[in-house]
Amino acid sequence: MTNHWIDIVNSDCIFIIGSNAAENHPISFKWVLRAKDKGATMIHVDPRYTRTSQHADVFARLRSGSDIPFFGGLIRYILANNLIFKDYVVNYTNASFILSDKYDFKDGLFSGFDAEKRAYDKSAWSFAKDDQGRIKKDPTLNNPRCVYQIMKTHYDRYDMKSVSAITGTPVADLQRVYQTYAATGKPEKSGTMLYAMGQTQHTVGVQNIRAMTIIQLLLGNMGVAGGGINALRGEANVQGSTDQGLLYHILPGYIPTPTAAMQTLVEFNEKNTPVTKEPQSANWWGNRPKYLASFLKSMYPNQDLETGYSYLPKLEPGKDYSWLSLFDAMLGGAFKGFFAWGQNPAASTANSNKTREAMTKLDWMVTVNMFETETGSFWKGPGMDPKKVKTEVFYLPCAVSFEKEGSISNSGRWMQWRNVAQPPSGDSKPDGDIIYELFEKIRELYAKEGGAYPDPIKNLNWDVATNHAFDPHKVAKRINGYFLTEKTLKVGDADKTFKPGDPVPGFALLQNDGSTCSGTWVYCGSYTDKNMAARRDKSQTAMQAKIGLFPAWSWAWPVNRRIIYNRASVDPQGKPYQPDKPVIAWVNGKWEGDVPDGPWPPMADVEKGKFPFIMTTDGMGQIFGPGRNDGPLPEHYEPLECPIAENPFSKQLHNPTALKFTGPADIHASCDPRYPFVCSTYRVTEHWQTGVMTRNSPWLLEAEPQMFCEMSPELATMRGIKNGEKVILESTRGSLWAKAIVTERIQPFTVLGQTIHQVGIPWHFGWTWPVNGGDSANILCPSVGDPNTGIPETKAFMVNVRKA
Amino acid sequence: MEWNRREFLKIAGATTAVTAFGGLGFDLTPARAEGQAAKLKFTKQTTSVCCYCSVGCGLIASTDKDGKGKVVNIEGDPDHPINEGALCPKGASHYQLGKNDRRILKVLYRAPYSENWEEKSWDWALDRIARKVKESRDGSFVTKDAKGRVVNRCEGIASVGSAAMDNEECWIYQAMLRAMGLNYIEHQARI
Amino acid sequence: MTGKTFFVDLSRCTGCRGCQIACKQWKNKPVEPTENTGSHQNPPDLSWQTLKVVRFSEKTIDGKFHWLFLPDQCRHCLDAPCKMVGDAEVPDAIMQDPQTGAVVFTEKCKGLNAQGIREACPYDIPRVDKATKLMYKCDLCNDRIHAGMVPSCVQTCPTGTMNFGDRDEMLALARDRLAKLKVKFPKAELVDADSVRVIFLCTQPPSAYYKHLQFGDAGPRPLSRKAFLAKVMRPLRAFS
Repeated sequence: MTNHWIDIVNSDCIFIIGSNAAENHPISFKWVLRAKDKGATMIHVDPRYTRTSQHADVFARLRSGSDIPFFGGLIRYILANNLIFKDYVVNYTNASFILSDKYDFKDGLFSGFDAEKRAYDKSAWSFAKDDQGRIKKDPTLNNPRCVYQIMKTHYDRYDMKSVSAITGTPVADLQRVYQTYAATGKPEKSGTMLYAMGQTQHTVGVQNIRAMTIIQLLLGNMGVAGGGINALRGEANVQGSTDQGLLYHILPGYIPTPTAAMQTLVEFNEKNTPVTKEPQSANWWGNRPKYLASFLKSMYPNQDLETGYSYLPKLEPGKDYSWLSLFDAMLGGAFKGFFAWGQNPAASTANSNKTREAMTKLDWMVTVNMFETETGSFWKGPGMDPKKVKTEVFYLPCAVSFEKEGSISNSGRWMQWRNVAQPPSGDSKPDGDIIYELFEKIRELYAKEGGAYPDPIKNLNWDVATNHAFDPHKVAKRINGYFLTEKTLKVGDADKTFKPGDPVPGFALLQNDGSTCSGTWVYCGSYTDKNMAARRDKSQTAMQAKIGLFPAWSWAWPVNRRIIYNRASVDPQGKPYQPDKPVIAWVNGKWEGDVPDGPWPPMADVEKGKFPFIMTTDGMGQIFGPGRNDGPLPEHYEPLECPIAENPFSKQLHNPTALKFTGPADIHASCDPRYPFVCSTYRVTEHWQTGVMTRNSPWLLEAEPQMFCEMSPELATMRGIKNGEKVILESTRGSLWAKAIVTERIQPFTVLGQTIHQVGIPWHFGWTWPVNGGDSANILCPSVGDPNTGIPETKAFMVNVRKA
Repeated sequence: MEWNRREFLKIAGATTAVTAFGGLGFDLTPARAEGQAAKLKFTKQTTSVCCYCSVGCGLIASTDKDGKGKVVNIEGDPDHPINEGALCPKGASHYQLGKNDRRILKVLYRAPYSENWEEKSWDWALDRIARKVKESRDGSFVTKDAKGRVVNRCEGIASVGSAAMDNEECWIYQAMLRAMGLNYIEHQARI
Repeated sequence: MTGKTFFVDLSRCTGCRGCQIACKQWKNKPVEPTENTGSHQNPPDLSWQTLKVVRFSEKTIDGKFHWLFLPDQCRHCLDAPCKMVGDAEVPDAIMQDPQTGAVVFTEKCKGLNAQGIREACPYDIPRVDKATKLMYKCDLCNDRIHAGMVPSCVQTCPTGTMNFGDRDEMLALARDRLAKLKVKFPKAELVDADSVRVIFLCTQPPSAYYKHLQFGDAGPRPLSRKAFLAKVMRPLRAFS
């Protein structure tokens, strides 16, 4: 979230798309309904009518996988009717930037495409520069090569009729949505976009989000109260676990993982430190070398920076190591060992049969959980003969959240501390203790016996325990960072001397010379003289109270800023665009309200002022996004499995750069009469993820006891299915049973003149428990993914449904 | 703890509830187990945050024997600015994570080709895992890639997990994995 | 004695079932075996294990589709027919707390004719555990109220659907909300407000939510003692 949960109350229009917030984030509706009490309008766009839709002022259906035309039509509507927030667009976005001659777009392909590699040369999408290296701009937005005009041409093809034909949304519904949301382009109005996996689990997932970004920038909705792009994240600490770098492509704090092409720290910094010729751009990532140096020192305090860097494993450039590739490699026998730590991939990974088969190729697996999972017990699952499965499996029981202490970070980036309410049950241990004790043993072995490249293991700062118990406070202090050598730095206007061990007060003071450590630079400031995440103080200024800011309650990254990009909420002089709900204001030479995006004066001060989007190299909101793998502007491609033969927008039926695999487990079926229905997977309120915790919580299981399939009365009639009957769903990858829920909440779509049926299934069930609960929806899902993130396309694929 | 306990201080009076009601001269012993306020007698209140979705709702857990025993009740924290005491059904069911017959509370081991789990001690399991890790790492460690560039990576082990861990746990987990040289480090955020 | 009252604003309910589970949590209720029968409503009905159940209903009204949610529970009638019937069989098996107005089943309910008690209820609420013959229904979280807490379902409700307080205060809130909602929903009404302590505000006709939401919608109850009802149901729909 750029904003936070309470901030939803400040919105004039809440646009929920690709999310079923009322069911999956029920407490969000406290704030949605309060916004509605104050007069806000709520729009819900979804393939089916959900508990969220029931409260929508405007509800529109779209066929799963057609979001980009839906958004494209909205962009066209905004531009055609001149409903943009013009000052904002000109001053704060790259709409005025002029593109180089190399940029082009023809019939679904952007310039720079290499058909053999199925990849783009992104340099073809760069901006034109003047002789001083500065980007050429046209603030009148009239230059035909400026982003604004290029975008206008691009989306002119997404007229209401064409959009309706592909999405299946009636034109009247499109009109209502477009008209309602575009009204937030007025400077005093704000609109928020709430989304979840309904947007991301597509082969165009990132471009779906990009489309929302463009809309929010055109309407001036970024940085303001009641605005923003707000991902409603699915797990209590998925924000935090991402921040801490538990992904192959990032180290903690969103520092790219080094590749073999960056042999030294110097080389890494050359390749990963953006430079700008725009004098007013803060270009915050220009500080990246300080953050990497501080990370290296948090791992290897006694080594020089280059040595610490040499300890980091290097990726093979161009190789994908993401989730789906990991399991594809596992199936190919690439791994001896595997940790499934607090995860249940046998049920959570698209194409479960492939995943489960892959696990038989392992020599050993360690799994950490609270209950039996389909992963830990895969060797005795459906279709497995334990006598033929070689994998040695270790099941380690962990404590539940209130049996340990530590912090988690919510969707609004609030880092909140949890306390111990009871000791760990039975022999279970907090994950922290399990990790600590396991690595102690590994270190002992290497100390005793030596082995392959033992230096990183031996030299890792493993001071994470007190009295042989994992100490989260000690680690939290290291994540925050502290000084390693004495250092005198300017703080405000005065010099301050820091001693070794002193906490670093904020990331602006992190150093690139090895004098500071910080495990995760964005968390610098979270554990200083006290544990900021544990704060429970509700005091606020009158200005903060107006927009529901609680700056002394817990702590938010970065630097306790509650609304990101808040410099865009004020005009270039620092005056709030929305005086009734100001986020920050420049008053008497200083900022009031939220923590501003950097201390500098407003942008009108050409000497000291900075552009608002400080994390982009050029300081501007990116309407044109040249960094993505599949194009700088969102373009419609059908899901990898789809019900239509031709894409009316271009000759490219599918995303030409999508992540896919070619083995026998990866067969796809578009327009195949054997698999005529579009299927989506989703959640229900009462269960969570693969259901490991909730299926094992009796009260929750009682409320949603079995796998079901929601379908329209028309489809049920066509297939002779009665409500409550058992049905079989099948895709090219597998089949499963479900109980039919025949409901008018699901309706067929008319797409390009033909009737398309869609069905939906939850992904919470699994064969281990309950006995008659059903198995994982992911058995049906394809292992294909977004070309930027690798997130699998589990929201749109093709199935058959028949009576059991 | 800094938090305002006003709501739960009121519960301290809970144990007098039945008396107050009964004190009016009625025999109101309700049907079995219906009077629950007494379960909060001699409890200690601890704040936590919900373990499910990422709204981050505040919880108050009540632990019996003045905090030395087990959790007897978990409900929403009325002081928390996001949820203001409210909880969805998942949040409201936290208690069943702490008291649950289906929790696995022993280390389990499944030998190759075995049809069963067997219970093991922590020491046995961690020793054997450490040994397996070392064997796999040493056997699959790649110092230089095909182009002769130094890569220092362990190619034979992969990891997924976990958004279910605390920040501090996630951090030391990535530290351990990266020190061992793993590249295949993934978790829920990818799916 | 004015006592306590719930105001349940169904215009705000998202059917999240936080209340259904919070009720089970506070009372530490056992579960019953359930299966999916083509609906999300589960358990399918109230039972001795389930004192509060969210009912789901899909209806098209005046051409508009609605998914309606009803957190169903005992209404704690001001003059409770169950108590009147019960008192005739076993005095004080069913009690009414003079302070709060909560209607509470006691251990003595074992001696009652459970079928008769259930049929006496205008809203079809009481249930019996056949094994123990004990009767069960919502007790207004009377223990929590006396401890200065709000009932569990009210505490957990995210949306402001469940409200609780002194009767006067709740009636005022109900009237206020009704007036506001009338603008958008001219047919909105408060259900049986004069005779119950759990007052539902409906934006759609009560029968669209559930046949027993409003007394009389499901036709006459199979009462053995109709006389009581005549007395209890006097001033219906004073605010509708």
